[in-house]
Amino acid sequence: MTRSLNLPRRTVLAGALIAPFVVRAQGKEPIKIGNAMPMTGSQAGYGNDFVTAMRMGVADVNAAGGIAGRPVELIALDTQAEPQLAINAVNRFIGVDKLPMFFTAWSPVVKAVAPIANREQVLEINCGANSPEIANLGDYVYTAFPLAEVDVVKLAKYTFTTLGKKRVAVLYINNDTGIDAAKLYRDTFTAAGGQIVAFETYDPKATEFTGMLLKTRAANPDMVHIHGLINDIPQVIAQMRQLGLTQRVSSYSAAYNQKLLDQLGAAAEGLIVTSLAPGVADNPRVAPYIERWKKEIGRVPNGLPYTQYQYDMVYLVKALYEHLDKKGTPATGTSLREALLAVREFDLPLTGKMIIEGHRVDKTVYLLTVEKGAYVPLATLN
Amino acid sequence: MEYLITLAVLIALNVILAASYNLVIGYGGLSTVAHPIFFAIGAYTTGLLSIHVPELPALANVVLGMAAAVVASVLLAGSSLRVSGDYLLIASLGFQLGLLQLIRNLEFTGGPGGLSAIPGTIVGPMRGPLFLLICGGAALACVLIIRAIVKGPYGRAIGAMRDEELAFTALGRNAMSMKIVIFAIGCGMAGGAGGLYAYYFQYISPDQFEVLASAAVLTMVVLGGMGTPFGPVVGAALLLAIPQAITFLHLPQNIMAPMQGIIFTLLVLVFLFLRPAGILGGKGHPR
Repeated sequence: MTRSLNLPRRTVLAGALIAPFVVRAQGKEPIKIGNAMPMTGSQAGYGNDFVTAMRMGVADVNAAGGIAGRPVELIALDTQAEPQLAINAVNRFIGVDKLPMFFTAWSPVVKAVAPIANREQVLEINCGANSPEIANLGDYVYTAFPLAEVDVVKLAKYTFTTLGKKRVAVLYINNDTGIDAAKLYRDTFTAAGGQIVAFETYDPKATEFTGMLLKTRAANPDMVHIHGLINDIPQVIAQMRQLGLTQRVSSYSAAYNQKLLDQLGAAAEGLIVTSLAPGVADNPRVAPYIERWKKEIGRVPNGLPYTQYQYDMVYLVKALYEHLDKKGTPATGTSLREALLAVREFDLPLTGKMIIEGHRVDKTVYLLTVEKGAYVPLATLN
Repeated sequence: MEYLITLAVLIALNVILAASYNLVIGYGGLSTVAHPIFFAIGAYTTGLLSIHVPELPALANVVLGMAAAVVASVLLAGSSLRVSGDYLLIASLGFQLGLLQLIRNLEFTGGPGGLSAIPGTIVGPMRGPLFLLICGGAALACVLIIRAIVKGPYGRAIGAMRDEELAFTALGRNAMSMKIVIFAIGCGMAGGAGGLYAYYFQYISPDQFEVLASAAVLTMVVLGGMGTPFGPVVGAALLLAIPQAITFLHLPQNIMAPMQGIIFTLLVLVFLFLRPAGILGGKGHPR
C-alpha cells in the first residue's frame, strides 16, 4: 500500500518550478563534516549533546555565509562508544561520503579508528577523549581537546600547593579514562611532596564500592580524587558519604555536569572539578550559548565544556578550508593535515585560543567548586 | 568501496565465528556461551606475535592464534565437558569473564585500553580486496569443512551423541572425546577468525569480546538456523548488514538513534516468530 500527501496541485507545481532556483541559490557543493559519536547506548547522554552542539555550530556558520561560499553539512554517525561500530562509521565517512577529515571522541574509539585514518590518509581529530596515548596514534591523528596531562597535572599541583592537602586517596575506573590519568595524578602529587595514601581501582561496570571505600577510610586521606565516568562518579561520592567519608572530593571535567548535582544534592558540596573551556565569567559568548540551549533544547547541555569544543570544531574546519582556499589547494586528508600544522593557532568562539603543539594542545584549566548546589569558579590555572 | 569491503570482511569473519559456534552448539549440543573468548585468544595471540616477533610470517601468526585457541578450548573442555546443560553454560561463562579480566589487567595485552599498533601486513590499494579474498575464502572453507563433517558418518555420530548421549555411550562410543574434538575444531576456527580480525582492523580491546558478543553470535546462529550448514552465513550477514542499511535511511538524529535499535529488534523478533527454527531451518521448531 502506498500513501500520498494531499497537496494541492498548484502547490506541487509551484514547488517544482521554484526548486531548481532554491538549489542554485544555495550555491556550491556543501562541505561535509563527519562526526562519529555515541548517539545510543550508555554514553548517549553526552554523545547526542555533542552532536547537537556541532549542529548549532554548523547552523551559525551557514547563517554567516558558510565556508568560502559553500554551505556546511553535518553527517553524524552512531558509535555507541564501541570500537567496532566506530570502525564501521569511519569507513562509511571515507568510503561512501568521501570525507577528507572527521571528528570523534571516547578514547577506545579514537584508538580503534586511528589505523584507518593513518592508512587512508584522512585527518582524524579528537574532540572529547583525554587518554594521553592519543598523542602517539600516528601522523593523521590529532587532538583539539587537551589530554589528561593538562588538567590532571595542574589539579594535582594545586591540591598540594594551594589547598595544602598532604595526603590524598586516588580512586579510578579501570579503563583508558582512569588508569593513565590516575598515574599522572599520583606521580605529580608525589613529586610535589605529597603522599598518596590509597590508590584504588574499580571495575567500569561496578555499582558497589564499599570495599574500596572502607580501605580509603582506613587510610584517612585529607582529600579524595576520583577519576571515573559520569555514570559512576556520583555513585562513588554518594557511597563515600554514606560510609562517613566527609573529605573534600576532586575530579576532572566529566564531573562538571548539572546532572551530577541533581543526583547528589548536598553530598556534592565542596566538590572540585576542572573545566577545559572558559565559563560564563571568562567569555561573554558562553552565556548566550547556554541560553540558546535552554531555549532550543529546554535545558543546559550535558558536559558543557565538551559541547563548547564540539561547537568550535566547525570554526576549526572553517579556518582549515579557508587556508586551503587561499592557496587554491583541494581539500584532502593530507592537505587538511598540512593546513592544521600551518595555521596552528585558532581563535575559536567558545573555547578561545587553541594552539596545536605536535599532537597535543595546551589550554587554560578552570577550576570550579560546588557551593550551595551550584558550580562556582575557584581558580584559573594557566 | 572500502566501506563495503570492510563490511564484507566483517561479515566473512563473523560467518566463521557463527558457523564454528553452530558446530559446537547446533550440531554438538554443547551449551557454551564462551565462543567469543576463543576469537579473542586468536586475535590477541596473533596481534602480540605480530608486534613482538615481527620476523614471523603473518600466516604463522594466524596459525599460532588458532593453536592457542585450540589449546585453551581443550583445557576448558577437559575440565568442564564432563558436565552439560546449565553447568556447562556457567563454566564457559566463568572462563570467558575470568580470561577477559586477565586480559584487562595485564600490561602487555594493552589492558582495558586494548592492543593497538598491530602491523597492517598487507599495504597498498589492494589491501581491502586481498583481505576480502582471504577472509571470504576462509569463511567458505570453514562452512564447507563443517558441512563435510556433519554430512558424513562422523556427523551422524555427532547427531546421535547430541540427541541421546546415554545410548551413544552404551554402543561403546566415547562421547567425551567426540565433544572435545568438536569443541577444539569450533574454537580453533574462531581463533583463526580472531587472528584475521587483528590483522585487518589493527586494534583489539577486551570490551569487544564481552557477553554481548556472545549474545550477538548466538543470535546469528539462531536467526539463520541452528544446526543448518548455511544458516549462520545468513544470520551473520543479516545481523551485520541491517544496522548499516538503517543508517542510509537518512532519518533525523533524534529519530535515527532510537529507530536503529527498534527496527533491528523488530526484524529479529519477526523472523523468529515466523520461522522459529531460523531462516534456513524450515518451518518447524528449533533443534
